[in-house]
Amino acid sequence: MVTKEPYISISNMSYRYPDAKHYALEELNLTIYKGEFVVILGEHLAGKSTFCQILNGAIPNFKGGEMKGSVIVGGLNTQEVSVAELAQKVGIVLQDPEAQLFTTKVISEVAFGPENLCLDVDEILERVRWALQVVGLASFEERSPTSLSGGQKQRLAIAAALAMRPEVLVLDEATSQLDPVGTMEVFALVQELNKKYNVTIIMATHKSEEAAQFADRILILHQYRLIAEGVPQEVFQNTKLLQQVNIRSPQVSQLATYLEERSLCLSEFPVTIEQVRRGIEQLFRRGENCEL
Amino acid sequence: MSSLIEYYSGQSLFHRLDPRAKIIFLVLFTTVIFIIQHIYLAIVVLLIVIALWCVARLPLRSMGGYFKMLGSIIVFLFVVQAMLYPGQVILIDSIIPPSVPLIGGKGNITEEGILFGFFITTRLLAMVSILPLVVMTTPINRFTLGLVRLRLPYQLAYIITTALNLVPVLKAEVGVIMDAQRLRAFRTFEKGSLIAKLKAYPLLVTPLVIGAMRRAELIDVAMQSRGFGAKRERAYIEDIAMKPSDWVFTALTVLCCLAVLLANFLS
Repeated sequence: MVTKEPYISISNMSYRYPDAKHYALEELNLTIYKGEFVVILGEHLAGKSTFCQILNGAIPNFKGGEMKGSVIVGGLNTQEVSVAELAQKVGIVLQDPEAQLFTTKVISEVAFGPENLCLDVDEILERVRWALQVVGLASFEERSPTSLSGGQKQRLAIAAALAMRPEVLVLDEATSQLDPVGTMEVFALVQELNKKYNVTIIMATHKSEEAAQFADRILILHQYRLIAEGVPQEVFQNTKLLQQVNIRSPQVSQLATYLEERSLCLSEFPVTIEQVRRGIEQLFRRGENCEL
Repeated sequence: MSSLIEYYSGQSLFHRLDPRAKIIFLVLFTTVIFIIQHIYLAIVVLLIVIALWCVARLPLRSMGGYFKMLGSIIVFLFVVQAMLYPGQVILIDSIIPPSVPLIGGKGNITEEGILFGFFITTRLLAMVSILPLVVMTTPINRFTLGLVRLRLPYQLAYIITTALNLVPVLKAEVGVIMDAQRLRAFRTFEKGSLIAKLKAYPLLVTPLVIGAMRRAELIDVAMQSRGFGAKRERAYIEDIAMKPSDWVFTALTVLCCLAVLLANFLS
């Protein structure tokens, strides 16, 4: 459930990588509320990954560079605390399922984070079992991560992040290397985490269909700036802007735009299959078009 | 294909040893190998390691692949030592023709040279057989725990084990790069001459190194994002305990090393 409680506040933030001439993100002002499901869309090199790594402090703590403005996550200034400290507030799942799994057993992969917090062993095991249960890998404890499918690997990476009990889960193109089945596995899980466990989700992706289906709010990054934000209907209705920034809107939204151009208006602008189905049914029932 | 640096599951006596006992064996035997100066001692150490390979029931085919990989280095070392090591008993006189400028007439193969070449290659074989023996019989998380329980800072222990973990990954990456090159009709590594292969190595090494650096950076981000290094100490869900058999093995390791060193200094 989206609350009115701001959890992430970004003010006048600009960031430049070491030795880079241009900023990778410029003049970013943004508030993300607890329980929100935010999707970031943008073409390649728009600044999505930079944005994700700023949220968990990997930038600038790891990568150096010049950062202006402030990023406050759960009351902590990311420039003043270590990535390891922020790990209890922000979990991150990276694009490459292989590179982020580095132990030999599923159970040790998920336990790695809580072990680093030096928790009691019973507490660690309780967290591990809970996280594996949530992602549907409870029976995989003794398996090797290398034996899992792509979707299972990303679910394991999510479990590993969840075992830290973060308030925010950041997914940096976590489905880009997955097939449609794996992609849906991850999106369904993330939606469940958001709705059932009230985890704030921030997801960078290219997949506009899924973004439209799951997001509360969509952010559009283009040439290192936040150029648009809003609920999916608002964002995907702005076809002119989407064309300018090379973002493809969901196919159902393209259909709605096509119908509009032929004076056939749906009662609401659709971004999901269900919405377009309802709209077309009503259209048939009315037997009219918007100009008549 | 199994890699020599990956864990090979098994229930042998050597597999069941505490990782600390195996790490002590690894460190002591590697040190002894560096110190010894006599060929018969190098053979003794190599035989002990081979015996332990048999005890561990590790697949001999992976050992064969490993030695095939090392074969060219061993032959090269042997030939160079045989030709360049100074000796009195000449077996083959000046293998380099006198017409060759600067080095013509040199390259006597002596009995001492052959013995020294044999010593160096035996020592090298023993040295490179010890690490795989330990790593292949110890799950990486237990290996890490063993290092930590031996009072190595856990950050350092993880650097070592993550590096070991990367070896099979890099090996797989070499396969991918070579396949990609083959698909574009690049066959130098299979059919080219030695010089052509040497010239082509940057084409293999450059993407491999760049990929390895990128992967290492991602692993670093992934580890820190899960709180690695947040506390001075860390907990472990698994625990290890030295059993009587581990103490016996450690005592035998120490005794063996002392005996070899004593024999080395008395000879």
